[in-house]
Amino acid sequence: MRILIIEDEKSLREDVVDYLTENGYKCDFATTIKSALQKLNDVVYSCALVDVGLPDGSGIDIVEHIKKHNPEMGVIIVTAKNALEDKLQGLKIGADDYLTKPFHLSELSARIYSVLRRRNFGGKNTLTFDGLEIDTTEKKVIANGNQLQLTKKEYEILVYLASNPTHLITKEALADAIWGDKADMATSFDFVYSQIKNLKKKLNEADLKNYIKVVYGMGYKFKD
Amino acid sequence: MKLLTKSNIYTTITTVLLFAISIFVVYQVILIRLDTEVDKQLLSAKEKIVKGLQDGISPNAYFSNIGQKIYVKKIDYRTMYGNQFIEYIQKNPKDPSNDGDITQRELLFQTDVNGNVYEVTVCNSLTEGKKIGDYIAVVVLIFLVISVVILFLLNRLISAFIWSPFYDTLTKIKTWNIKKNETLNFKETDIDEFYLLNDTVKDLTHQIQDDYHNLKEFTENVSHEAQTPLSIISTKLELLMQETNYNEKQHKLLVQIYNATQRMHKLNEGLILLTRIENKQFIETNSIELTQAIDEKIEVLEDFIEAKQITVQTQYNKKIIKEINPNLLTILLNNLLINAIKYNLEEHGTIKITVDEDSFSVENTSYIDKINRQFLFDRFNKNSISGSLGLGLSLIKKIVDFYNWQVTYTYKDGIHKFKIYM
Repeated sequence: MRILIIEDEKSLREDVVDYLTENGYKCDFATTIKSALQKLNDVVYSCALVDVGLPDGSGIDIVEHIKKHNPEMGVIIVTAKNALEDKLQGLKIGADDYLTKPFHLSELSARIYSVLRRRNFGGKNTLTFDGLEIDTTEKKVIANGNQLQLTKKEYEILVYLASNPTHLITKEALADAIWGDKADMATSFDFVYSQIKNLKKKLNEADLKNYIKVVYGMGYKFKD
Repeated sequence: MKLLTKSNIYTTITTVLLFAISIFVVYQVILIRLDTEVDKQLLSAKEKIVKGLQDGISPNAYFSNIGQKIYVKKIDYRTMYGNQFIEYIQKNPKDPSNDGDITQRELLFQTDVNGNVYEVTVCNSLTEGKKIGDYIAVVVLIFLVISVVILFLLNRLISAFIWSPFYDTLTKIKTWNIKKNETLNFKETDIDEFYLLNDTVKDLTHQIQDDYHNLKEFTENVSHEAQTPLSIISTKLELLMQETNYNEKQHKLLVQIYNATQRMHKLNEGLILLTRIENKQFIETNSIELTQAIDEKIEVLEDFIEAKQITVQTQYNKKIIKEINPNLLTILLNNLLINAIKYNLEEHGTIKITVDEDSFSVENTSYIDKINRQFLFDRFNKNSISGSLGLGLSLIKKIVDFYNWQVTYTYKDGIHKFKIYM
């Protein structure tokens, strides 16, 4: 699956490209509206990540262009923190999702996965691993042939981890993804920890011992 | 005590004392003059009596018409020479009070006339003279009272008039608010001291205002400028953490750096939020029903409430609709509720939320004791509770101040209570 990253900030762009490439996406990038439009004409992308603040104009123009010429494509806009108007405008003209800077790379990956799933790219709505199948349409988890009974939060955590399968997910990223900034950090880490513990227990009971590894002090990893 | 009152009191006391002393002195001088006059009369009477006796005229017949009483007595031999003056008070037998008393002054002398010795007493009444003295004293006293009253009033009037620019200045300084960015304009005055005072105060407030704005701007800039490098550090760290071949020591260092960075990140976010509230960037408002907003927040935080097995009790006595910025209300309720959860007992604690017509309150049990009230809402006052940024209560206060509400904190029997009056 091919993704276009339109971002002028070099450091962030590089990180995003590296991270998504590791997650199995093919990534191209553009730094201006002009070069982005060029690339969009030449290649068919599954999804585009658009920074609203670009040196030669607003990324909103690119979103409009995409929606006009390639409505099948998924679009995620990135706005500076609290630029509420950009966000609303972007969603109004058809962006699928938005992220505010700064964001966790794992969050971006999870959002891209979710957008692609909704747009039904590749025709599959399941995340499949060895002995584990997560059906994101039905919100069902099948472990070694048996359906796991998960709470809503446990399910959310599992999907988040599974959409970044080979990466370490920091506890902050998980807490942010599940409660946003609604929960105070220290409290939510405890909660994430207890949720993960329950989740691991349920997976263990289904004889899936290799999933979800706790990396001491840092966070969690779906699999090695 | 007011300056005017104080200066007036001193002036009045001095005036009264001065007048009292002068009345006393005047009265005494009058009395002395009176005695001297009467003595002169008595002595001139003596000369006439002596002459009359020498001429063989009975003094009683001679002097009966001049208002002086004369008693002449023949005695055997002379016992005294010279004049003896006696002053005494004669009681009026018909009037027992002191009003009818008559002050008498007598001259007693003995004289030889043609071989006979006479003892003569000439008696003169002082009452008339004394009365005049009394009248004078009363008149002076009346003048004294009138002058003191007039002086007092005049002083007040003049002072009030003269000091009015000063009081104007005082009132303006009192109501001056550094946050409002207003210039002080004082009443015009032609008194040098007040002019100087106003000028100095003006300069001083200008200086303070400038410093305050610079400092505020500095804090804002620092927070904003720190945002980008902080995000870069966070993201790079997350990438660095993806590597797996660290030894234990490196891993530990990385965790410590990451935790510190996250803390810094949260702190910066909090500071930016505080600044944005201060800079009135949350002005758009919606009509929000408070009890509904509270219920929604409780639902969002349900995981944490359940994790600690906290019993939440709501008592909504009134449904209140407020025109408020939704973001600010969210921050306010989040901070209040998260504090109530975070600092609650490890298990089986309680939270009680009460909504009344013009207030709402959050009460909770806690493992911490009473919080020192003095610094309660200050930034970075952590009350030695670890894991807190020390901005939560400060944010609550900021929002409450922003809407001109009031927040109170009370502690009773292990229950912490925050009440917000809207």
